[in-house]
Amino acid sequence: MDSECTILKNDCLKGLYRRIVFDAPGIAGRALPGQFVHVRITPMRDRILRRPFSISDADAEAGTLTLVYKIVGHGTEALAQMRPGESCTILGPQGKPYTLPAEGVRPVLVAGGYGAAATYLLAKRSGEKGVLLLGARSDADLILVEEYEKLGFEVRIATNDGSRGHKGFVTELLEEALTPDRKRCFVYGCGPEPMLLALGKRSMELGAEAELSLDQHMCCGVGACFACVVKVRDDASPDRWRYSRSCKEGPVYNAKEVYYG
Amino acid sequence: MADLRVDLGKIQLKNPVMTASGTFGYGAEYEEFFPVDKLGAVVVKGIAPWPSHGNPTPRVAEVTGGMLNAIGLQGPGVDKFLHDGHYLPYLRKAGATTIVNIWGKTIGDYCEVASRLDAESDGIAALEINVSCPNVKEGGIAFGTDPVMMGKVVSAVRGVTKLPLITKLSPNVTKIADFAKAAEDAGSDMVSLINTIPAMAIDIESVRPKIANVTGGFSGPALKPIAVRMVYEASRAVRIPVIGMGGIMTGEDAVEFLLAGAKAVAVGTAIFADPLAPLKVIDGIDAYLERKGFRSVGEIVGLFGRRKA
Repeated sequence: MDSECTILKNDCLKGLYRRIVFDAPGIAGRALPGQFVHVRITPMRDRILRRPFSISDADAEAGTLTLVYKIVGHGTEALAQMRPGESCTILGPQGKPYTLPAEGVRPVLVAGGYGAAATYLLAKRSGEKGVLLLGARSDADLILVEEYEKLGFEVRIATNDGSRGHKGFVTELLEEALTPDRKRCFVYGCGPEPMLLALGKRSMELGAEAELSLDQHMCCGVGACFACVVKVRDDASPDRWRYSRSCKEGPVYNAKEVYYG
Repeated sequence: MADLRVDLGKIQLKNPVMTASGTFGYGAEYEEFFPVDKLGAVVVKGIAPWPSHGNPTPRVAEVTGGMLNAIGLQGPGVDKFLHDGHYLPYLRKAGATTIVNIWGKTIGDYCEVASRLDAESDGIAALEINVSCPNVKEGGIAFGTDPVMMGKVVSAVRGVTKLPLITKLSPNVTKIADFAKAAEDAGSDMVSLINTIPAMAIDIESVRPKIANVTGGFSGPALKPIAVRMVYEASRAVRIPVIGMGGIMTGEDAVEFLLAGAKAVAVGTAIFADPLAPLKVIDGIDAYLERKGFRSVGEIVGLFGRRKA
């Protein structure tokens, strides 16, 4: 479904990070954690493609859809210039969502950079509260920490430069965050591809179920153009893998489906 | 409402608007947006004799006025296309006018796909021979930039099927008219043009190509004036119908191609910006005809050339 959605708020979260709230009742009522929307940033004239954004929050009652983005290029620069009252055309919600943790299962969210935006709705909708392992280049790239804490999640931090929390990769925090009985925890990942592949492998080694949100440069957002493909295992293929459309069959994949080759 | 029906010789369309191969999947992907039988025709993504992975990622990059792609013809192969419910069986059930884009690495490959499709041709209106994909190492553009080679592919395919044939031409040639003529002489019933233009983009921070294949095909609105010129030249060189495409975003854009000599048009990259773009183009053509007092779309085909003479 494609709909015209009015901007209610478009504020600075921190540094180059922004939070935008749309009046989008049609989307908010159906949005599930891990899904994304495909946004046409209306003021852009000479740049015609849509931009995919993970759904950060959706309030069915208020009819609001929240996205968190970082200003990184033409699209997000134009989006950051937009003011309440203006509108974007939004397609969605698209894609396969995360599986919510079953009762008694501890969610272990692992987010890299603004991957934390995508796991936020999962933390909110999850009946079980758990831990967020949040990794970033440095302190300046850590977002939504207080918001997760407000939801009752413990936040453990890793930064590459050691400016806050553990110095190193966020995946190094994984083992300690898992429950001794691996059946009582579930890992959810969102972030850069190298981090997710390392996380998927490590989760399997440690015997924990994991779902990863993978994607690639996206174009149509509906499964038609085959731009956003990621490698998944396919034992029927002579190469043991195939390209899967992350907008349609993903973006959320079980770690066991992913091809690490 | 003006009469939008189009006569392409061996096939008749309810309106002149098709989808460009590779931009509309296999039709089913757009089911939630509109019934695919509203289109003049659905041209599906390229079909080879075998399933293929396509190119590594990133496969697309946005540029000013359009985009580059090097998908590399990922596809299910002809067998799955014919029998899996998502592909041809879906289009048949949906009542679409279906044109199947075909490709291969050798002339034998093209013939194999064509004869497989010919044997189960229920629901197939025509084949579009892709001799112009810039993103595969073998076949594709290697055939389409040499009129003799292209003629060989077309006549070989002609030999194995009675289905109407469209030859999709590459813009990467000096004289497009010669290629349109070569396709006509080899037995093609129509030509379609233009495919994307080979191009590249570099990320200046990382000094890496923006797409993994380094080069890709450029498409989008920035292309339109080049495409209009080529359609104009091709349509003056041949008697067979010309299908025009390249950067069509609106009904007005499509009208320009029709005036230049195209009997039908295809919408491609615009669909990525707006899934409803093909329907809006149909409405836009109709609105133009109404506003200008034309009763049918046929009246404006090649009108520019006729006026000029």
